[in-house]
Amino acid sequence: MGNLIWHEYSRFVSITASVYAVWASFFGLIYRKFFWDFVGGTLRDPGGIQPAPGAALFITLIVKAPVVPIISMVLGMAILAIELPAPMVKQLSIYRSLPLRVILLLFQVFFTILFYQGTNAAIWSLIAAGCYIRAISLGEVMEEAKANRGKGGEV
Amino acid sequence: MGESWFQREFLVPRRLAFNVLFYGSHIALFAYGWYSQQTNQRLAGLNSLKFSVWTSRGAGLVLAYDGGLILVPMLRNIIRVVRPKLSWLFPADENIWFHRQVAYSMAFWAMVHTTAHYVNFINVERTQIRKQTALQIHYTQPGGITGHFMLLIMMVMYTTAHHKIRKQCFEAFWYTHHLAFFFMLGLYTHATGCFVRDSVDPDYIATFPFYSTEHCIGYLSWRFTIWPGIIYFGERIWREIRARKATRLSKVLVHPSGAMELRIAKPSFKYVAGQWLFIQIPELSRYQWHPFTITSAPEDPYVSVHIRQVGDWTRGLGERLGVGPNVVASMTQAAMKGAEKDEKSGLLRGDFVELDQSAVSITLPQVRIDGPYGAPAEDVFNCEVAVLIGAGIGVTPFASILKHIWFMQKRGKLGSLRRVEFFWICRDAPSFGWFQSLLHQVEAAQADPNFLRINIYLTQKIGEDMLWNLAVNDPGADYDPLTLLRSRTMFGRPNWKDVYARMKQAIEGGQYLPGSSSQLKTRVATYFCGPGVLAKSIKQACDYHTGSNVEFSFAKEHF
Repeated sequence: MGNLIWHEYSRFVSITASVYAVWASFFGLIYRKFFWDFVGGTLRDPGGIQPAPGAALFITLIVKAPVVPIISMVLGMAILAIELPAPMVKQLSIYRSLPLRVILLLFQVFFTILFYQGTNAAIWSLIAAGCYIRAISLGEVMEEAKANRGKGGEV
Repeated sequence: MGESWFQREFLVPRRLAFNVLFYGSHIALFAYGWYSQQTNQRLAGLNSLKFSVWTSRGAGLVLAYDGGLILVPMLRNIIRVVRPKLSWLFPADENIWFHRQVAYSMAFWAMVHTTAHYVNFINVERTQIRKQTALQIHYTQPGGITGHFMLLIMMVMYTTAHHKIRKQCFEAFWYTHHLAFFFMLGLYTHATGCFVRDSVDPDYIATFPFYSTEHCIGYLSWRFTIWPGIIYFGERIWREIRARKATRLSKVLVHPSGAMELRIAKPSFKYVAGQWLFIQIPELSRYQWHPFTITSAPEDPYVSVHIRQVGDWTRGLGERLGVGPNVVASMTQAAMKGAEKDEKSGLLRGDFVELDQSAVSITLPQVRIDGPYGAPAEDVFNCEVAVLIGAGIGVTPFASILKHIWFMQKRGKLGSLRRVEFFWICRDAPSFGWFQSLLHQVEAAQADPNFLRINIYLTQKIGEDMLWNLAVNDPGADYDPLTLLRSRTMFGRPNWKDVYARMKQAIEGGQYLPGSSSQLKTRVATYFCGPGVLAKSIKQACDYHTGSNVEFSFAKEHF
């Protein structure tokens, strides 16, 4: 009955997920843990799970140097800059691209799923990406904002 | 609107009181939750986790409080019963606003609580104070599972509740908001995993609540927060039962201006003027309830609502009744052009067409109604002067109130009400033909010319046709050519400060209410229904002119 405009809805999910991702990545810098370390890992008391040797690459990128949380934080901020949108991004035509959002969100899923705090951000980003895909498949496009909508007195 | 955030939140006494009580109670509970965890000797094991566990327990207690509060403003029937007695204490009509404030607070504390638990569980894993991994606590224990599910449900509910989405697709909001059922279940069972305990393993027992409170020493907050949930659930069932009571759609009238009037007979339905109801037509949609203002007076033998075909559902109803948008559009066009002068059609603008079941091969659909629910305009008879202001479609609740006043006037039971000022601001008056016919009726019945004054403001740009109509028909005529009322239509928007200033002057001068003694304070109550911006300027005018002799109060209706 009602007419849901999917990309407008997806924007809210995407904002929520990205805020979560930024906040999770921040804690990922302090409490560093590879989410999938239980695969083949052994539990040591005290010390927690010792990951399997095969996961050495991820341990390097998440625990030894928090590269993955940093990337996902930057990515989350980039998505927020597009979605909210930041004034300078608003002027670019790429800002209105829905496929770009899907790609960025899928990258966000990939990075946030890797570390301990990012799971929910990953699931929600996946939902947001799914809604954007639905919007694209329905042929929705973002309209260009009308010019001269600025505050009174501005040209 | 020219006032800063600080002025709005802290310099308005009521708002200040709310902020202090609401946020104060949250912070106090957080502090208590923190303190009671930190000083509990039995929980020394958990306390080795330090700040994170203190924070999570404090925030957990606050969330329990919010979980208890979130449903309270939605107890519509209880609010309707208590609001006449308690309207001085809290603004009962701002229930949705309060619901939103609780929700915002809940989102914030959920963030605090979840963040703290992420730290807790990683530290449990590292120190092995319990022989578990972080992910086991997150994804295999009741606390973790319900917590993650509640977060997901919150995300879906909050995003679809955004006003933009609600306007686009009310169904998306309506259906997803019913996830609240699962959310509340999650909330009540969140502590069943016995995370807060002084024993090594959770102390489960075979009887309800399936964990022993000897060793599981959480706040047991579900014992308190479950009551609003139970009452709300009961209320929903009661609404369902009430909606199933005998209801019959007795008549459908179509007004040339395009409004459909449904007259519904339901003997068990009691209401007062100015209230509203939910209506459901199972044939169109089995689950949707749509709010409408009641336009009949309590004295009428039926309940009526006026419906304009503007949305999907209302258009669907029009189609179902055989008066689809096309039929009505032509009628509206005719009405807009002033077709009341057209003798061939034989229809006066105030007239309506009754859908005759035998003539038109249409059966009337089954309807169900749920209500009534409160609105501030119930209190009209407690003041000396009532100022009723309707803007656009917001005029509908006043149909019921004016009719009701008219009935009461006939019986001589007006209470303290001495005068009624009615303002109607609209863009195109002719499209509200049905309302004009009602005004016409009420105006014609006035014995005292001073009791009811009707002020109509037309804000639309005047076309050439209308100009000529006015020029030819207006001077010297008894009735206004546009509305066919004795009161003249005014053009443009009213200047509220000026309107109230003149009213105040007249009251203080003693000409307005003859015989009113000047020692007594005259109460002038304004009831407004329409857009928020207008509400603000009227409220400002009310506050500005309230003095020692005259008290202007202001109440606004919500849709």
